[in-house]
Amino acid sequence: MSEILVQTLVSGLLIGLIYALVAIGLTMIFGVMDIINFSHGEFLMFGMYSSFWMFSLYALDPMFTLPLTALFLFGLGVVVYKLVISKITNAPMVSQIFTTFGLMLLFRGIAQFLWKPDFRTIEKSMVSGHFSLAGIQVGTPQLTAGVGAILVTVGVYLFITKTRLGAALEATAADKEAARLMGIDSQKMFALAWGIGAACAGVAGGLLSTFFPIFPDVGANFILIAFVVVNLGGFGSIVGALVAGILVGVIEVMGGFLLGPQYKLAIVLVLFLAVLMFRPQGLMGKA
Amino acid sequence: MSVKTMCIRLVQAGAAMAISVSAYAQQEIRIGVLYPLTGAAASSGAEMKSALELAVDIINNGAKSVPGLPFSAGGGLPNLKGAKIKLVFADHQGNPQVGATEAERLITQEKVVALVGSYSSNVTVTSSQVAERYKIPFVNPESSSASLTQRNFKWFFRTTAHDDLFVQNFFEFFKELEARKGVKVKKLAAFNENTLWGNETTKLEVKLAAEKGYDLAKTISYPAKGTQLTSEVQLLKAAAPQVVMQSSYLGDAIMAMKTYKELGFSPDMILANNAGFTDTEFIRTLGKDADYVITRDVWALDLAKNNPLIKQVNDLFFERNKINFTGNSSRTFTGLMTLADAINRAGSTEPEAIRKALTETDIPGNKIIMPWKGIKFDDKGQNMYGSGILVQIIDGKYHTVWPFELATREVVWPMPKWDQRK
Amino acid sequence: MSNNAVVSQPAEPPQSLPRKTAGTGYALMLALLVIAVFVPQFVDSPSHQNIAILILMAAQMGVAWNIVGGYAGQVSLGQAAFYGIGAYTSTLLFAQFGLNPWLAMIAGGGVAALISIVIGWSCFRLKGHYFAMATIAVAEIIQIVFTNWEFAGGAVGLTIPMDQQGWDVFVFASKVPYYYIALGLLVLTLLANLMIERSYFGYYFRAIKDEPDAARSLGVNLRKYKLIAFAVSSFFTALGGSFYAQKELYIDPASVLGTGLSIKMALVSILGGIGTLSGPVLGAGILTLIDEGTRALFGGTGRGTDLIIYAALIIVVAVYYPNGVIGWFKSWMARRQAVQSQVARGEHQ
Repeated sequence: MSEILVQTLVSGLLIGLIYALVAIGLTMIFGVMDIINFSHGEFLMFGMYSSFWMFSLYALDPMFTLPLTALFLFGLGVVVYKLVISKITNAPMVSQIFTTFGLMLLFRGIAQFLWKPDFRTIEKSMVSGHFSLAGIQVGTPQLTAGVGAILVTVGVYLFITKTRLGAALEATAADKEAARLMGIDSQKMFALAWGIGAACAGVAGGLLSTFFPIFPDVGANFILIAFVVVNLGGFGSIVGALVAGILVGVIEVMGGFLLGPQYKLAIVLVLFLAVLMFRPQGLMGKA
Repeated sequence: MSVKTMCIRLVQAGAAMAISVSAYAQQEIRIGVLYPLTGAAASSGAEMKSALELAVDIINNGAKSVPGLPFSAGGGLPNLKGAKIKLVFADHQGNPQVGATEAERLITQEKVVALVGSYSSNVTVTSSQVAERYKIPFVNPESSSASLTQRNFKWFFRTTAHDDLFVQNFFEFFKELEARKGVKVKKLAAFNENTLWGNETTKLEVKLAAEKGYDLAKTISYPAKGTQLTSEVQLLKAAAPQVVMQSSYLGDAIMAMKTYKELGFSPDMILANNAGFTDTEFIRTLGKDADYVITRDVWALDLAKNNPLIKQVNDLFFERNKINFTGNSSRTFTGLMTLADAINRAGSTEPEAIRKALTETDIPGNKIIMPWKGIKFDDKGQNMYGSGILVQIIDGKYHTVWPFELATREVVWPMPKWDQRK
Repeated sequence: MSNNAVVSQPAEPPQSLPRKTAGTGYALMLALLVIAVFVPQFVDSPSHQNIAILILMAAQMGVAWNIVGGYAGQVSLGQAAFYGIGAYTSTLLFAQFGLNPWLAMIAGGGVAALISIVIGWSCFRLKGHYFAMATIAVAEIIQIVFTNWEFAGGAVGLTIPMDQQGWDVFVFASKVPYYYIALGLLVLTLLANLMIERSYFGYYFRAIKDEPDAARSLGVNLRKYKLIAFAVSSFFTALGGSFYAQKELYIDPASVLGTGLSIKMALVSILGGIGTLSGPVLGAGILTLIDEGTRALFGGTGRGTDLIIYAALIIVVAVYYPNGVIGWFKSWMARRQAVQSQVARGEHQ
């Protein structure tokens, strides 16, 4: 029994790292410009398709094409910001919500239009397979994705804390007006946040593509969990998203195992509500 | 004119333009088709749409390579002076209300004489109610929820067998397996997705296991559209059943298989309930890992040795779509052929005449592409001759293994453990 | 970054508008309703009548949402929970226990209002985004509960028998009675909305929305009024859910409790103009016609074209008309009046 529990814990940890990676992009966008991005799951979906097409057309392994996918999604994030989001930076919250909700539907429609609604999968990747460690089974793609998630988190964190550009981004997040007086172009910063946010989701998609089916509505499976993670970690907190992602993954898998799989999402949501009630700013958010 | 009426007029005008091109063409039988063309089940919807397009192409334009198939001479329906069939497609998005709305639009605006649909059982519920209300025949080729033909509808006809029979098949198979190979199955687990279809299947499995004296050690209903199935597989592993009876759609079926392998869960058999396990993508994705799974199905290509039509029509389908028929698309094809047969016998496009002809349907098994005794409806609109088969995946292909008299291969039992596979 | 800017104020504060436009708004609303009464006389196709009913249903849920989302400024994205609770309560009482469906509908509203008070009590301490997220989570939890609740039909859902028809069972063969019931529900919901807007409630809500701190210092009990708005909104949302059940004769968790439905309720309001009386009604008309129109024309292609057009329109409206159609109309009127008064005073720009 204890072995099963340890196994469950490890599996929860691995899926949790993926949640964290998806959520980091979301929390980035939110932290810098206070917008909830409903179409974030679709950035993930585009990341998956980007990996898939490079694999099926040019036989390039998703692991090699990760940087390309990240770059492509970065570009998409910036374009989406320039064309749509830049026009609603000062709009009321409801218009912002509905703009990104519209984007979500639009992206799903476009994906279906271009690539049909079929399920697609990358059947062989260099990371396919699994190994056992002291009796605990670990899937190589999941482990790779987990490690990738940690690396990206560390990268984004270092970027924010150690570079001038990151500092400017942070300043914009803290106080737009003050940042402007210091000569920081907030429009540029917002575009950067969208680019990085989309790229994070894209990398998550690329990592997921090695073991998760790919289809136009795939973002729907992740978006709710990503919201919960962002909230739990605190809007705008990178480290918070990592911690909360792991927490949600473990609770979901453990809760499903102990209390019944049909309630696994409900367990996560109840916990999330409880945290909201007593610590609305999340675990690591700024009050 | 209010804004509202103006808008309605606009929509009317738009719709009128869209259909005026064809609405007044003589010699055209308009059949409404309701499938999920967007949303979660869209990929299945697309395959079924292709199957219908093939059927209509054969009826309207003929197909020399399938002489044994009714209407393969082409030129439309002979008893209606060669009238051609025109399909009007609608998308129900997997949403029951949209299904009802679209059914109503097809009947009242598009003036269809019959409806075919809707795959998703919960949408079939609402859309067939609309057809019942308007007294328009509704042919349902593939929804398997048993309750659909327990509503005493007069206008509802289902060509496929339903879940009652399919779940029954599982237990018949266990019994015959013991007689044939001395394999004793005692301990089972039910692992089904938690929507209408999976939920009804679970209830049947619980009921039948109790009746027939099997030990159903674990019943798991998992939420569809999740991101992982780890907790579910761990629970199965802890229960250690000999056989897992599983109902999953494609994404979950793939995810479940990968998780079984990853966590080293090796029951004697995965006995799957069609859907995801018979989707074209299932074997392509999992490759060797899909081997040895047994799934219920209604159609298999290797059945062509008993019925040449199966391969001939499949060849036509493959030529157009680069994929073989599946249990879904072959049933959809058969549903439309059944409707065409009824309209032709009715010799008219009057709904009541079509309904009457449907009740008198009697198509022998050698005229359809299914391994059924034929098609004949009981007073509830259920085809009495529908049946299921079990197929096992071996070397990346589906082989019929049960009923034993149709089998093309001996069943492999138990499935080899993950770590003993080559 | 303030979380209070949940709803932007129109460029012109409403009270500075001449009374004429407010009056025009009501007159327009009244005219629309009068015309609506005669729609079934002109529209004889059941399918078009059905679309008209869908518009009324969307308008009713939009107006109900607007009471809490527009006036009280609490952006709830989980109102489908109450729609579903209404639908389930009335269907269980009617189909299982034989209660008169009209009474069952009111009971459904009552149950929803009670549950909303419990939920609101705990959620109203949250602001802005946090509140929106919490409501999504609550609605999801409620959907999961119903999916696994055998008594309520579980994932299979519930069916209302269609063998009996008439006003006593609230099931009809014709679309016309449904149309008038939907219209009646809409008028009732509008009246509730109007009463709230015109009473001191409305002033408090505007105060809560625009100057919460000032309102608090004046001793306005924020939570109490938010709760009342929430309960009223949930009550009417639940009536809409019961109506859905009686019209479609089948409910399951996915169709009456889904997040998509919650979003639609809010979307209707925002399209038309949030915090206005006639906004949701206009929004419902626009959204439903786009939805049905694109699906009728492109839905059969199976390429997602209908989805693309629908989504693009939502984005255009949300981006370029943040105050909805009504907001656009108001600012246009205001501009025209400003020009007129300048001309009258002989000034030139």
